[in-house]
Amino acid sequence: MSGATPRAFERVGGAMAGWDRGRARIGATMAAVLAMAAIHGAGAGVRAQTVALTGGLVYPISSEAVEGGTVLIVDGRIAAVGVDVDIPAGAEVVDVTGSVVMPGIIDAMSYYGVAAEDMNEVPNPLTPELRIIEAFAPFGTFGSGEAGEIRVRELLQGGVTATYIGPGDATVLGGQGAVVKTAGARFDDLIVREPAAIDITLGGKPASTYREQSRSPSTRMAVVAQLRDLLVKAREWMATSGGGDEASGAGAAPRNLGMEALARLLNGEVPARVQANATRDIRVAMELAEEFGFELVVDGGAGAHQMAEDLADRGIPVVLGPISHPYISGEEIPDPGDYGGVDERNAVWLQEAGVHVSLASFSRGFGPFGPGVAGQWLLIDASIARGHGMSEADVLRAVTLNPAEVLGVADRMGSLEVGKDADVVVFDGDPLSIRTWASRVYVDGRLVHERED
Amino acid sequence: MQFTQWKAELTHGALAVLVGGFAAAAAASGARAQDAPVALVGARIHTAAGPAIENGTIVFAGGVITALGADVSPPGDAEVVDVSGMVVMPGMLDNHSHIGADSRDLNEFPIRFGPQHRIRDVLSPDDAFWKGAVKGGVTTVVTGPGSGEVSSGQAIVIKTWGESIDERVVKERGGLKIAMGRKRPDQSPTTSMAVTALLRAKFIEAQEYQAKWDAWEEGGREGPAPPRDLAMEAVVRVLSGEDRIRSHVHQAHDILAIIRLSQEFDFGLTIHHSTEAYKVADDIAEAGIDVVGLPLFTRVALADEVMATGTVMNEKGVRFAFHTDDPVVGSKWQRGNAGLGIRYGMTEQDALEAVTINPAAIAGVEDRVGSLEVGKDADIVVLNGTWYEVSTLVTRVYVEGQVAYDREGEGP
Repeated sequence: MSGATPRAFERVGGAMAGWDRGRARIGATMAAVLAMAAIHGAGAGVRAQTVALTGGLVYPISSEAVEGGTVLIVDGRIAAVGVDVDIPAGAEVVDVTGSVVMPGIIDAMSYYGVAAEDMNEVPNPLTPELRIIEAFAPFGTFGSGEAGEIRVRELLQGGVTATYIGPGDATVLGGQGAVVKTAGARFDDLIVREPAAIDITLGGKPASTYREQSRSPSTRMAVVAQLRDLLVKAREWMATSGGGDEASGAGAAPRNLGMEALARLLNGEVPARVQANATRDIRVAMELAEEFGFELVVDGGAGAHQMAEDLADRGIPVVLGPISHPYISGEEIPDPGDYGGVDERNAVWLQEAGVHVSLASFSRGFGPFGPGVAGQWLLIDASIARGHGMSEADVLRAVTLNPAEVLGVADRMGSLEVGKDADVVVFDGDPLSIRTWASRVYVDGRLVHERED
Repeated sequence: MQFTQWKAELTHGALAVLVGGFAAAAAASGARAQDAPVALVGARIHTAAGPAIENGTIVFAGGVITALGADVSPPGDAEVVDVSGMVVMPGMLDNHSHIGADSRDLNEFPIRFGPQHRIRDVLSPDDAFWKGAVKGGVTTVVTGPGSGEVSSGQAIVIKTWGESIDERVVKERGGLKIAMGRKRPDQSPTTSMAVTALLRAKFIEAQEYQAKWDAWEEGGREGPAPPRDLAMEAVVRVLSGEDRIRSHVHQAHDILAIIRLSQEFDFGLTIHHSTEAYKVADDIAEAGIDVVGLPLFTRVALADEVMATGTVMNEKGVRFAFHTDDPVVGSKWQRGNAGLGIRYGMTEQDALEAVTINPAAIAGVEDRVGSLEVGKDADIVVLNGTWYEVSTLVTRVYVEGQVAYDREGEGP
């Protein structure tokens, strides 16, 4: 066992700033960056950290594709993107002609690294104080896996460089989720944002959990009533304890970790990720968001296309379950009451209505077969959406920049823009072909996956 | 053999007629299905029976394919459909599905050995998943009961589209389902070894059951006939070769155990899911067992070795077919399984065969479906691009010559 205690376990319930290591942002102008690169390039030890991927078809996502472009990586960040990029002396030049260069894929919802028995604190339907990061185990299957750096090979081989992880969906309010990378030298290096959201589940799943135990909430009505009651109490707590501001509230009231977590939601620091597939559940999520003034992200959204205009009008983003098998509850055979509106044209219909759409895997372990790494197939879902008429730019955005925006990490990832983390994937062909593999994956500028063959 | 047929007639009069008169019924259904000949002209045709035909023509009439090739001219009275620039492939098969049944009807948990149960008795024409299967180009499936028991019952080979469940049946005997491996802990057998032991006991019991009937027959049917046992009749059909075992099996040692049983009792066997088949590929090849294997499209995260099962089986000369296990994955994504197979090293032709002629041959219905050949059912899929890419859409599906799905007629 490691002697060092990861920072994730030292802090309890702090604001997200605690996880942002306050890295200075590189100036947005290429000139400034190149100047810096030149300075650093002088040191031999830095040479490996300056990489130029040249000759590829570059999809920056935030701007038009560039043929024969160069992506320059310096000190873990994107230093330049374009056709006329000066490559600093000493840079490692990798010719990727014939390949596609893209930002890393971001899976906006998964349960990767969370053991099945750690996903749901079933005895209590409402547990805002729980943090998924404390159950996160990215070290591979028990008793196997490599020593040293943490690399989630299965996700990296699909080009996935970051994923949201959250508590499970068997209870009503499972707790706080986090955004993590899929490779890093140490556990702390993986953490991008924590807490990143409050995870809530509506629909048949939580009600069925408690119905089986002859406990409340065993109906959708009770699920919503208990949730509303908790949010009312959180408001009251904020009013009597210094508005949830830990500094000003010090001494005014005893600490309450659950209420502090909800205060971050009601203060607008983090959004609510509300899993809602049936239209009635999406409707409830919207009503609660309006009533309590929190930022809402609809998760799952199997029936979202039936309320696309409403979602677009209110600017509510949707994180869709996988198009090929949207039954995200994890049950082998889904409850048809939750998935009545399933249609693989969901994404394109939402996009056309102007809804902010992300595609996510909602991946979890499936019985004894393995960990929740189905996020490696997100580009296949993107391909299906493409087939149904979504543009190439839109589907690629739905697995990169859109999830980054929904997760509140677009300042660091989601596109190839100067200053962002160098989470970069080289694909050996059309990223939307089922035959294409990620041939090289960089996370924070380090080559963390290379396909043999 | 005669013995079991006689009993079947006694058991289910109407059913036996259907099975016995199967060929005639199929021909009649085809004749009613389609009047004027139809010619699809100009597509790239993947027949699954040979190399692709560029700019080919396929003609069908009376529900069956009547001509096929690059040099075929449509008959004068044919309705000519221009599909130039499109791709044509056979209606696909899915050899392992639970489509058509309410999920609550798949497993009779209290009965650990229930070969008397028949999926046919719970198939609904209203099941929403049929439509998805047709839309995805899957026109024939083997649908069966679940995997919760040592034997959950009898599967059936059936088309995904047609007038009625009865008319859609391609083959009554779709295999007797057994499930190897550990079971729920609340009722014996729970361990793998107890499951295998129970099966061995049941096969012996079936041999004894048949011996009693044989003795009664040989004795000139004197005295009362032995009491009938529907469960034993189903097992006897397997032992006599009229039906076969389809075994749910994941782990390598369980694969070896069921192969051992098949040799001990000399019955036909297909293994399903076959997660660790790659570990015992040589044993499977030597035993000549067909494999219905993974992946389940992208639903389950699997090790690369498992994802490459098709590649490994083909290298060993083992006949391999993909499955969806619908509703675990909708049948419509069977084509995606083939795409993943290619991604993991299968040739395009091998992957095509693994969703068409191989599952047909494994189900014993390759005389009617599984490839585009003259005389076979006109179950035909038209696509708007490379057949194995998931961004390619199925635009039209014919089942026995009739339009079963047309993307143009589909609502928004």
